[in-house]
Amino acid sequence: MIAGDTISTRKKRALFLLLMPITLVLGIFFLIPLGIMITYSFLEPGLYGGVEWNWYPYNYGRILGWPLNDYEEFEPIYLAIFLNSLKIAGLTVLFSLLICYPAAFWVSRMSPRRKNFVLFLITLPFFANLLIRIYAWLLLLRPTGFINSLLQGVGLIDQPLDMLFSNFAVIVGMVYIFTPFMFLPIYANVEKLDYSLVRASQDLGAGPVQTFLRVILPLTAPGIIGGSIIVFIPALGNFIVPAFLGGSKVQMTGNLIERSFLQSRDWPFGAALALLIMGSVVLLLVIQFARASRRESRGAA
Amino acid sequence: MRKVLGRIVGVASVLMLSANMATAEGKLSLYNWGDYINPEIIDQFSKENGVEVTLDTYSTNEEMLARIQAGASGYDLVWPSVHMHDIMQQLGLLQAAHPNQMPGWDNIDKAAMRSHEDPNGDYCLPYAWGAVGILYNKKMIPELKSWNQFFEYAKANPGKVTMLDDLRETLGVGLIMTGATVNSRNPEEITKAENFIMEQKPNIGAFRYDVIPLVTSGDIAAGHYYVGGVLNTLQNPDLLGFVIPEEGATMYQEDVCLLANAPNPDNAKLFMQFLLRPEIAAKNSERLTNGVVNTAAVDLLPDALKSNPSINPSPEVRAKLQIFEDLGKDLRLYTRAWDRIKAN
Repeated sequence: MIAGDTISTRKKRALFLLLMPITLVLGIFFLIPLGIMITYSFLEPGLYGGVEWNWYPYNYGRILGWPLNDYEEFEPIYLAIFLNSLKIAGLTVLFSLLICYPAAFWVSRMSPRRKNFVLFLITLPFFANLLIRIYAWLLLLRPTGFINSLLQGVGLIDQPLDMLFSNFAVIVGMVYIFTPFMFLPIYANVEKLDYSLVRASQDLGAGPVQTFLRVILPLTAPGIIGGSIIVFIPALGNFIVPAFLGGSKVQMTGNLIERSFLQSRDWPFGAALALLIMGSVVLLLVIQFARASRRESRGAA
Repeated sequence: MRKVLGRIVGVASVLMLSANMATAEGKLSLYNWGDYINPEIIDQFSKENGVEVTLDTYSTNEEMLARIQAGASGYDLVWPSVHMHDIMQQLGLLQAAHPNQMPGWDNIDKAAMRSHEDPNGDYCLPYAWGAVGILYNKKMIPELKSWNQFFEYAKANPGKVTMLDDLRETLGVGLIMTGATVNSRNPEEITKAENFIMEQKPNIGAFRYDVIPLVTSGDIAAGHYYVGGVLNTLQNPDLLGFVIPEEGATMYQEDVCLLANAPNPDNAKLFMQFLLRPEIAAKNSERLTNGVVNTAAVDLLPDALKSNPSINPSPEVRAKLQIFEDLGKDLRLYTRAWDRIKAN
């Protein structure tokens, strides 16, 4: 009895000590800044950046249509930009999934040595700075760039294709950046896939499509969902790719936030936008987790 | 203004230039625009005075102000644009360095005393000025003279021109083209300018700062750009040209200011004195290819710079250049117009 208690208290103490650093880090570097953002989003913008300590909920009114005062007008463009960001982030998830899902199966069937090498290759881009890699895409996509010269050299096109500074370029850049984040969770899931279940399904007379839809897809779904979330969230807030490859003509909410802080000197508005993005992401996650736990409890029953 | 590099990298790069660390008697910490000072003169100052100089960079006035306001300490000298100089002086962020009592002050062009708050130069030393015009590729446009021609070309060749990703600069062009001043506070005038830029937007390839490589390679034909681009036209005169458009243009000027909480005010004043020397000012200008505020330095410049109509414009052209003033709360008219331009 007594010995058991000491072990459990010791375990508790160890757990407490082990969790202490991460709790502190999250508390200091996440919750406090979040609190500052929430506070700022309800304050009046200072004349030269910063804030005036006056209650000012109209930053949200400018985006959502309510509440408004004499100075702030409702501008539907902010919601339009947000929807455009959702679209770009959604397409980024879709295309990176289309690339990564088959690739994960391919890599998972390789010999261990090749597998490790391929995994190393996938993480290799992280060794170079993000800005440099985005800049490289600019050089590839521009009218006199590599891709256009190649296509012209082969004789497939006469005039260079206008690929740079477009939605297309933004999505190419985003998919490129986020592919590893999609690949790794899917791969972790696909690797664990129990092929005896696949064979069982085939033995029981399921066709390839049926096996895929009813056995493989459900078993790898957690990886797909995990990867999609990890890609979707940072893609939604990205501002570097639209600025570089979209020529700042393609707008995402991230660009708007950056501009509010650095050009417009309107920190509260930037904070309000950032919180709305965060809010919608949190909502998405809550829905997802609620669905997942419902499914689990159903499974248990 | 070769602020571009700083803008691309976006990260304050720390450049340590210490001639002789062992004998360094003091320190001096500079906070300047990216690529906006000739490193050779920093080196020379460092050697002459045995001072260890560090240089951090920023890419917008607002970024610099935000950092100083947030309490970034340790910097001695900053390079705000004139309107930001006024703001910082009003906010009490600067201290009087009295450059007007330093030897060589008489050489400072009186036209460069543009600050409203500091008309006699008690606080800051005028540093450099320049026009914002158009950098163009001569193989694609043999001679460019005006904004009109720029937008006509864009209409015929959509996507082949760029404008700056800066709300005051680009709306400023709209204001010039619709006959208003670039510091207008009149909502109707600003709406007209907004509509003008909006009409052009489908033909504009990108809103972008970093255009020199794209103009050089011919990926775009012309880009709204700072006079610092003249450095590239001088290196490549057959390919590149820079013009201050006939209709008029905006201009900027930066002043060197001593921060109120500067840790090394004496070395900072020494550096201001050093910048006042004509030969140093000339050496710096060769690298910046900006307008020169030191009249004695103009004579020391190479002919290519002295006679360049963009760097040393005629009085008629100078009369058509407008400098930005701080608009205070009315800036919101511009930010909202810009948001609409960007979104649609």
